Amino acid sequence: MVFSQDLVFSQDLVFSQDSEEIFPSPLAFQLDNGVQVVTVEQEQAPVVCLDFWCQAGSRTEAAEEYGLAHFLEHMVFKGSGQLAAGEFDRRIEALGGSSNAATGFDDVHYHVLIPPAAAPEALDLLLDLVLHPRLDPDDFGMEKQVVLEELAQSEDQPEEVAFQRLLALACPGHPYGRPILGDRRSLLDHDPQRMARFHRRRYQPGHCSLGMAGAVGDLDLEGLLASSPLAGLSPPDHQADAGLTAAGFMPLRLQSGRHDLRLPRLEAGRLLMAWSFPAAADLDAVAGADLLTTLLAEGKRSRLVQRLREDLRLVESIDLDLNVLEAGSLGLLEAVFDPGQAERVEAQISQVWQELCAAPPTEQELERARRLVANGYRFGLESASAVAGLTGHQGLWGRLAPLSHPLELLEAWSPERIRSEMVPLLDPGKACRLLVLPA
Amino acid sequence: MSALLHPPLPTPETFTLQGGCPVWVLRRSGPAIVSAKLWIRGGSGADPRGQRGRAQLLAGLLSRGCGDLSGEAMADLVEGLGDELRCEATEDGLLISLKCASADSAALLPLLHAMVLNPWLASDQISLERQLNLQALLRQREDPFQQAHDLLRHQLFGEGPYGHDPLGVEDELAALERPQLLEAAGRLGAEGAVLVITGQPPPQLPALLEPPAGPLWPTAPPLAAAGPGGRSIAALVSTELDTEQLVLMLGAATVCLADPRSVALRLLQCHLGVGMSSRLFVVLREEQGLAYDVGVHLPARRGAAPFVLHLSSSADRATEATTQLLEEWQRLLDQPLTTEEWQLALAKFRGLVATGRQTCGQIADRQALVLGHGLPWSYPDQASQQAEALDPEALWQAARSLLARPSLSLCGPAAALAAAERAWAAHPLGSSASALLS
Repeated sequence: MVFSQDLVFSQDLVFSQDSEEIFPSPLAFQLDNGVQVVTVEQEQAPVVCLDFWCQAGSRTEAAEEYGLAHFLEHMVFKGSGQLAAGEFDRRIEALGGSSNAATGFDDVHYHVLIPPAAAPEALDLLLDLVLHPRLDPDDFGMEKQVVLEELAQSEDQPEEVAFQRLLALACPGHPYGRPILGDRRSLLDHDPQRMARFHRRRYQPGHCSLGMAGAVGDLDLEGLLASSPLAGLSPPDHQADAGLTAAGFMPLRLQSGRHDLRLPRLEAGRLLMAWSFPAAADLDAVAGADLLTTLLAEGKRSRLVQRLREDLRLVESIDLDLNVLEAGSLGLLEAVFDPGQAERVEAQISQVWQELCAAPPTEQELERARRLVANGYRFGLESASAVAGLTGHQGLWGRLAPLSHPLELLEAWSPERIRSEMVPLLDPGKACRLLVLPA
Repeated sequence: MSALLHPPLPTPETFTLQGGCPVWVLRRSGPAIVSAKLWIRGGSGADPRGQRGRAQLLAGLLSRGCGDLSGEAMADLVEGLGDELRCEATEDGLLISLKCASADSAALLPLLHAMVLNPWLASDQISLERQLNLQALLRQREDPFQQAHDLLRHQLFGEGPYGHDPLGVEDELAALERPQLLEAAGRLGAEGAVLVITGQPPPQLPALLEPPAGPLWPTAPPLAAAGPGGRSIAALVSTELDTEQLVLMLGAATVCLADPRSVALRLLQCHLGVGMSSRLFVVLREEQGLAYDVGVHLPARRGAAPFVLHLSSSADRATEATTQLLEEWQRLLDQPLTTEEWQLALAKFRGLVATGRQTCGQIADRQALVLGHGLPWSYPDQASQQAEALDPEALWQAARSLLARPSLSLCGPAAALAAAERAWAAHPLGSSASALLS
């Protein structure tokens, strides 16, 4: 959970599924002030999901604002000019709905799941809440305690501590190297005025989008939004933003290196490695990177799992995830093993990489990866929340595309192209590597 | 304030395989996918003493070779199509889950029969899977929540069927060998099984699920029967860890899903722990800033389900956190919900049913569990009707009959444990319980 901090601790939803090449078509329109809105009709859905997105993740924080993006996401639920603290939750939940929010490095989003008939009311409440937060000083002090508890809880999980250290080492001087939660000292220092300034600066029409999916029916979203606070947002004050967040928009330059860490209460060793991958805007390269990481570490027959877990039995698990980010994506590897096996694990990872350098993957292997990536995507499109999230996010970053588009991108990658363009990015010598052993 | 009642689930098609396994099929429009869940009674709760961890080990091995296919060949088939096949043990059953594109389902559905009737249980795969489970068991100890949870589970269920993690008990898992697994595999389905398929499955389902020629998998529809019980000895249990926070879990062993009072407990869970308007969230988190993560754990069980309030709070606030958590439990025993609280809990209950029916996988999962407990297909909708009829007085009565004597489990640094123990001893719920420090 390094990359996104949820407002409410929650278990993952049961993952979903799908498969035919007929996708619903997103309907997109822009409000007069430029806010992008996208809706997707899903007839079979029992609910509607509303998802408000804003480019107000932790990387948009200035030096004195660390932790503020995430803290603000908590404070939003403390009410607006019209809604008392907790009133939003009570009203949404009394309508049979639920809500949550999450802050990432690049953006933040607030989402509501609601029975279709109650969607107009939920939309009003959500936009008022997010765009007119009250930031009451007493509530601010109390919520600060909650965020500090969230920080303490994450510090009690050795795995989270290890990942945070890896990011700090891999991304020095870049916001991706800082915890989204912030640090104790910054958090204690924050006040409502500073938060209000951050809100004014980031929650602007050019930084916001809205996604809606599910049993939308004949809901007149355009009409509903016409007189909403979203339409009332005035254009950004560019001068206020100048210079303040320059660091956040620097391209990520990953710092390679080899580091060790000893942690108490650790039962198994961890090898963590981070590599730099192309940024989110390069959709074609992201598709290639997805294929490569899947080919290497998804399923029993992937190269790393087969070699290190199934054949050599060196690891309990090995994962390689692609974290798609705006300033530059990160490939993150985690291997879990008996501490005595550390050297062999690392040597085998290098070996697997060298084999891929020497010869491209087989066509069959690539097809397997293509199908796994494609089905993972298709299965994810079944629920309203997944679709509202996906399209709202695309709208936020100006990357709206038909829902079939990610699948077409996968077809453009041949085994030789993977070898020549993607495999070199995973050079262990270019990685930031952290070996974590029990203290 | 009134929430909308969700429409009931449609009536499914049903048939029975020749071997006896009932099959329930719910066709849905939307994406062309299939979710199949085969629920087989007898999970970790059925692990014999001395062999705890057997059900989970067997579950992991079912996808490591069956029928004509080695484990690698199975993985090649399933992963090669980009689909997913998983098998895991819960306390009450073994669950095989297949998630695939409709176009792939005719190739994959036959695996289910081969997995339960003819698993290879190859020795090298047993040693690998056993090693992985032992490592996972060890690694769980890194998590303070897991430690508090393990302690409470042992307090509530002792050495009984629900007393251990499905992964097992280290020594016993390490000693499991092929003969015990063969025996367990031979008993798969003896206590009943059910298959639920949702989405857009292919025609000719019976032939795909059971080869026309060849041996049958003998099983029967799961019957409603009493599941494992719990203990009602209230006590404090704790373990010391050098952490920032103190983890608190306050819980009692209650009743099975089939017990009418389980609906009352679910409503109490909605009241206390579901959503950001829930009582624990508002009082402990938003009004007092005592925690980030606070909630109620209430799994659906065939036997005595644990009802657990959980909270983690900074070690230096141990006294306050413990006292407040005990007060919230006491409040359930001392007074009925207000009308407003009760209506909100009902609205959440309805909301959960609707949002729990978004995907084929969610529906298949829920229905397989319900049928696996010997309850009817319509049970979730019946429970919704029952919930509407439960007034605050009825909920209060259920709380007093089921939650009178909770146990408290703690995990954290020594000073916080000591403070929490004093708070427990000073509270009526604690002073009436016997102290049992581990």
